[in-house]
Amino acid sequence: MADDKDVLRDVWFGRIPTCFTLNPDEITEREAEPYYLLLPRVSYLTLVTDKVKKHFLKVMKTEDVEEMWFEYEGTPLKWHYPIGVLFDLHASNTVLPWNITVQFRNFPDRDLLHCQSNSIVEAHFMSSIKEADALKHKSQVINDMQKKDHKQLWMGLQNDKFDQFWAMNRKLMEYSTEEGGFRYIPFRIYQTLSDRPFIQKLFRPVSPEGNAYTLSDLLKEMFPAALPTEREPKRYQVLIHGIEPLLETPLQWLSEHLSHPDNFLHICIVPAPSD
Amino acid sequence: MNLGALEEDTFSTCCHLLLQKSEQLRDGWSWESVQGSPEGYLKKTALRSAVITSNAIWSQEGSKCNSEAHSCCQYSSDQQVSEKSVVVDEDDRGCTVPEGSSQFLQYEYHILYSCSYRTPVLYFRACTLEGRSLSLEEVWSSVHPDFQVRLRTSPLNTISQQEHPLLGQPFFMLHPCRTQEFMRPVLQVAQDQHRSLNYVVVWLSVVGPLVGLDFPQEYSTLLQ
Repeated sequence: MADDKDVLRDVWFGRIPTCFTLNPDEITEREAEPYYLLLPRVSYLTLVTDKVKKHFLKVMKTEDVEEMWFEYEGTPLKWHYPIGVLFDLHASNTVLPWNITVQFRNFPDRDLLHCQSNSIVEAHFMSSIKEADALKHKSQVINDMQKKDHKQLWMGLQNDKFDQFWAMNRKLMEYSTEEGGFRYIPFRIYQTLSDRPFIQKLFRPVSPEGNAYTLSDLLKEMFPAALPTEREPKRYQVLIHGIEPLLETPLQWLSEHLSHPDNFLHICIVPAPSD
Repeated sequence: MNLGALEEDTFSTCCHLLLQKSEQLRDGWSWESVQGSPEGYLKKTALRSAVITSNAIWSQEGSKCNSEAHSCCQYSSDQQVSEKSVVVDEDDRGCTVPEGSSQFLQYEYHILYSCSYRTPVLYFRACTLEGRSLSLEEVWSSVHPDFQVRLRTSPLNTISQQEHPLLGQPFFMLHPCRTQEFMRPVLQVAQDQHRSLNYVVVWLSVVGPLVGLDFPQEYSTLLQ
């Protein structure tokens, strides 16, 4: 059971100041001013950018407008990753605000999933929650919920209602004390150095001897290069919600407190800044 | 033991046997491995003739239910959908060609293992011969008529666009959350009769045809 409510709140209300600029190649009737927004880390780009779209459509003709998509320094941004993950992965250690380019043509359909309505975001979000519960409780908790309970999770995220979301989500965070944690920890490890988008495998929170596994234990198995050694200077940063948690933190605690609303613990491994 | 589930090493064994058979049949399955990892996936490409409707019905409804997505994605039964989207397989010579423009499409099918659901998962993408990728609505319109019923009740929980977990590219995916459920009775019968089954073959013979993937009967010898 999660009782460290301050942490949950801090995670939920994390924001990234962002400046949206229209791609200069778009055909406009007059110059488009940039648009500034505080983006919620735990939400999805296509869910919180209605205002951005409206703003730029004012200077464009309808026939020049196709599906909107976003880019940061030449990299198309995958809307189906939580916003905080995109920022940590591509833009951590840069100056704020985060500069995102908005495009309305040449949708890169080899790189990005289409998303022309919120129902697509909802389906993606619910599918992640279901997958996480398959790992945590063999799907028992999510299957015992009713349709309106699922709806409550989604509406909580969509409308940025912390209490509404957590009133239901806490059920997904329960486990029996004798087991000492979830069956498996739903996690994904991202890095930008290979084509493979992320690492996701089975990993238990507790060893067969009953000891709690830590973030360090997980990395040792999944991405050993991310662990610091005594001989070399630090090569990588391990980021969750923009911070570097202590590597000795128990994985079960991280899963309960630092997971995104989709119930996955998203971990970004980025090169350490060389200053 | 959890009947209905498939372990990762059994998945590999099943795939290995399927590949041996495919070599005899020369029907084009191959194993693609991921660089620097023991993981990989089965892959097959195929040309298929299908009638696709580029949307109207699906997407109109889709945008209408924007605000109340899940529960409202109940499509009114529309004769037009099922009639216009009858899939014409090359083998079904007896089948009458429906009206509307049938065209050749290039399909690419991938079979991956999902450690979360402990089942195989079917990913696929499709494009026209000119190289245009099919949209989700077009894919929905091209599935087997029997499958359209399920699609109409909850399309996005059945086939949706997802990131390929090993390649990072957009693919369509048949959602695996019901797979254990429909495999369980089949595995139960086999267990009662003390027979062993090739899980991947049985599963693929059920889900493949829904999205136009032919699966020759010769594979059934692998069931024993």
